[in-house]
Amino acid sequence: MKTGWRNVLVAALSILGVVCIVIGAINMPKRTSEEGLNIIQKLRVRSLLSAVGDGVVDSYIAIAKKNATAEVKKKGGSMSDIRKAVQEAEEKVRLEYQDAETNYLDKDVTDVKNRLEDFDIALGKYADEKVKAEREYREAHMAEAEALAEKKREEASAQGLEAPPEETITVDMSGFEATEQMIALRAEADEAYKKLGLALMEIEPQLSKDALITLQQRVESILYHEERDFATLYDGYSTFSGTDVLDDVNKAKLIRYADDFITVGVALLIAALAIFFYETIVKAMGVPRLIISLFFVLLCVGALLFDLSLPALLGNTVVRMGMNSIMVLAMFPGIQCGISLNLGLPIGLVAGLLGGLMAIEFEIPGVQGFVFALATGSAIAAVAGYFYAKLLNRLKGSEMSVTTYVGFSIVSLMSIAWLMLPFNSLKLRWPLGTGLRNTIGLDKSNFWRILDNFLAFNIGGFRVPTGLLLFMAVCCFLVWLFSRSKTGIAMRAVGNNRRFAQSTGVNVDKMRTIGTVLSTVLGAIGILVYSQSYGFMQLYTAPRQMGFVAASAILIGGASTTRAKISHVIIGTFLFQGVLTLGMPVANELVPGSTISETMRILISNGIILYALTKSGGDTRG
Amino acid sequence: MAKKNIRTILRENAVTIMFVVLCIIGLYFSGQSVSFVMYELFGRISRNAFLVLALIIPIIAGMGINFAVTIGAMAAQISALWIVEWGIGGLGGFMLAVLMTLPIAAVFGFLIGKLLNKMKGQEMIGGLILGYFANGLYQLLFLFIFGNIIPLNAPGLVIKGSSGVANTINLASENGIKYALDGMLRMPVKDAVYWAAGIGIAIMLILLALKKADRKKAINSCIALALAAGLITIPAVNELFSLASVPTVTFIVILMLCLFNNALLKTKLGQQFRAVGQNRVVANAAGINVDRTRVIAIMISTVLAGWGQLIFVQNMGSFQTYGAHEQVGLYAGAAILVGGASIKKATNGQALLGTILFHLLFIVAPAAGKNIFGDAAVGEYFRVFISYGVIALALVMHTWRGVKKKKDKQPEMEKA
Repeated sequence: MKTGWRNVLVAALSILGVVCIVIGAINMPKRTSEEGLNIIQKLRVRSLLSAVGDGVVDSYIAIAKKNATAEVKKKGGSMSDIRKAVQEAEEKVRLEYQDAETNYLDKDVTDVKNRLEDFDIALGKYADEKVKAEREYREAHMAEAEALAEKKREEASAQGLEAPPEETITVDMSGFEATEQMIALRAEADEAYKKLGLALMEIEPQLSKDALITLQQRVESILYHEERDFATLYDGYSTFSGTDVLDDVNKAKLIRYADDFITVGVALLIAALAIFFYETIVKAMGVPRLIISLFFVLLCVGALLFDLSLPALLGNTVVRMGMNSIMVLAMFPGIQCGISLNLGLPIGLVAGLLGGLMAIEFEIPGVQGFVFALATGSAIAAVAGYFYAKLLNRLKGSEMSVTTYVGFSIVSLMSIAWLMLPFNSLKLRWPLGTGLRNTIGLDKSNFWRILDNFLAFNIGGFRVPTGLLLFMAVCCFLVWLFSRSKTGIAMRAVGNNRRFAQSTGVNVDKMRTIGTVLSTVLGAIGILVYSQSYGFMQLYTAPRQMGFVAASAILIGGASTTRAKISHVIIGTFLFQGVLTLGMPVANELVPGSTISETMRILISNGIILYALTKSGGDTRG
Repeated sequence: MAKKNIRTILRENAVTIMFVVLCIIGLYFSGQSVSFVMYELFGRISRNAFLVLALIIPIIAGMGINFAVTIGAMAAQISALWIVEWGIGGLGGFMLAVLMTLPIAAVFGFLIGKLLNKMKGQEMIGGLILGYFANGLYQLLFLFIFGNIIPLNAPGLVIKGSSGVANTINLASENGIKYALDGMLRMPVKDAVYWAAGIGIAIMLILLALKKADRKKAINSCIALALAAGLITIPAVNELFSLASVPTVTFIVILMLCLFNNALLKTKLGQQFRAVGQNRVVANAAGINVDRTRVIAIMISTVLAGWGQLIFVQNMGSFQTYGAHEQVGLYAGAAILVGGASIKKATNGQALLGTILFHLLFIVAPAAGKNIFGDAAVGEYFRVFISYGVIALALVMHTWRGVKKKKDKQPEMEKA
């Protein structure tokens, strides 16, 4: 009976989905067809006329105000009298012309329409040229602006202020001058506007030339949109014109939201599929991964519905996946060697941070600096990891709670160390007061985005961080290779079943030590990779929760506390970061200015760890 | 023989002794006057002891330190929010909050217990993560449900232009519950000691007359109480407590919880807690419903933690809506371990001693850090480090002993 209902639900969802897709698919091509162009044209004329009408009313109001002021002044009234009279005059004029706009409907606007099309095309050409020229100017002066921003930051840090995180560097545009081509196109556009003005004056005799000149800027800002697809133009124009000018509003709306129909249709089909193959999917993915995957799909749908740029968001997801991947990879040898989730990862993280700090302190530039940081960090991590492993070898079976608190203690111990360590570089220290800064900004003189920018290239506005992704791939490959070696297989045996491994002659403690050291070293490398991409090294309490984030990512990928694969690392990091990256803008569309995405992160990251724990503590009786 | 005993005592109480030493060093270097430290200490004991005592039952039931007490604290804060919304202040408001906390915390405790039963042997990490997880739900509740879906009208609860409940909830207004409990019968330390000594001796004598108490024990307690009363009479000693005053009712409530813990452990349920704590398999074989017993233990602990948090916030007079509960588990857990408890054994005495020592260090650490290292932040981080470190140390030592025991047992078994 249950399956019967389910089939009905699946059928209903599929039909609904198909209907949505069909509606969308029918209406989508109309955007570029005659019908779509007609709608846009109508809206465009209407928004122009409404602007003109406003302009006319405004000019009448201005005249009425002037008259009213003069009159009161003549009578010798006070300022408040003037204000009152002006207000009265304005209201009166507005009342008078309230219905003025509707008059246009009776008039013949074909001439205006044609002129407007010409003007629109000319204006488009000019504005596109302007955007292009400005971009060129910006690119040419980028280095200058960067140097300036750098200098500002140095000045700020010399005064002891926290260096402001500057994601986008703005170029001073005051030196920008119009190119010859721009001037020519501008002249053409002005010519077209004059012709348009003549046409307008025919249907609106009251319109003065002065009013037309003051109107030009407003008209241009209404007409021009950088993106010239149907949806943008429709939204842009209809806010000024309203939609009552259209013959069939619903039809226009269908065309406008055709892409959303397709999105919703696809989403419904996915939902139907997920319900239909529920058992198979759950078996293959497990409940939590299914939930997170569906949530991810839901967020993608949400992003599309809110007209957010999905490719850009997915691009960001890829970058953040690269940033976090090595730290997640650090969980892998831990799980394999049987210490389960290495929540003591902060030990590796602070080692990596130490390496990074030293590279800055000794002023080792660029690639050498990064390599030095990696090497020093790894060396410290290896030593710390060795002792950490010795500790864990005496605590077999209850590693997780111990590792958590050992990690926490190390973070707070290192907080004291950050206050006392004898670093001298002013990039690291507070100039006044003691200790290192909370966040240390990286820059071009050290390893700022050194991996991200390596061989990076642009695909339509999105910068592909080739080096970062390559580094991730190489690290994953090496760890995978290691897990295939003799030592790696022995290690996995220890993780799967310690007693069995011991009975077959594997040195359990040694394998656990190797796994723990490897995990800690990967943690050190991971935080450096993260920092170079993020642009900042975060000290003090920042590393405390990072172990949890990494652990939840690999669990989302499908690992358990005793088994893990490299694919779990990559899938998990992508899904987790994807949910976070997409979650924020989508949540902000739903509830503006809220921190719901942070709440979401807390719920997902801890929920998945809890789930894994319930799976690991198996016995139900006694 | 005696020498070995001392060594064992030293080893088994290493953490406590280390803390006493740390406190003395801190006290010396902080440069704070004893009377000021005492004033602070009395305040901190009165607001924290209840929370620490709430941890005892789950420890005895073998579930380790219940880091999920943070969830009990959340229940208390939900009640506190509504008390403020309804504008019910004073003792009445406080009692209403206590009543409201009971069912909320009990339900939460039930759910926690159910979940922890699925991760036996991992309760502590489970409780910790569960606390984090619940914090997310709490944020959902306070940011998006209260103040939005369920409107709040009391002034100051919702700040215009931002979503959800304000960052700080003030209980110190006219209709607040600040000092609802602490304010009653507040008296100087001297008077409090006299009263305590008088009543204590009287009870002991009555018990003795009824032959319900061990004679030697009773006489010892009487002497101790009389001694305390005598000491406080000395002006120099009294001077040390000149700033401090005793919130008598709060201390009585704490004392009642101690008695409750003792009484509960003597009941059948208490015996079941012990049995489950010692060995789940044996307890199960003996016919005890292990899962149910553990759920009850966590429920009691969660409700007590909720009440403890209410005592805490009525003393503070306000609380951080999104942060007041976060560290409850950490500080309470560290405190009870400092007192000499392990994750298997805990007593009221250890909880109280731990509260005193742990908070003594908390008071002196920043000033001492400033005087020794020239930076108060060192002291701040040091006390956080100590909190985490003590828990880590306790866990390590506990597991260590367990492994050792197993190793000691193994050869014997092989012989047999």
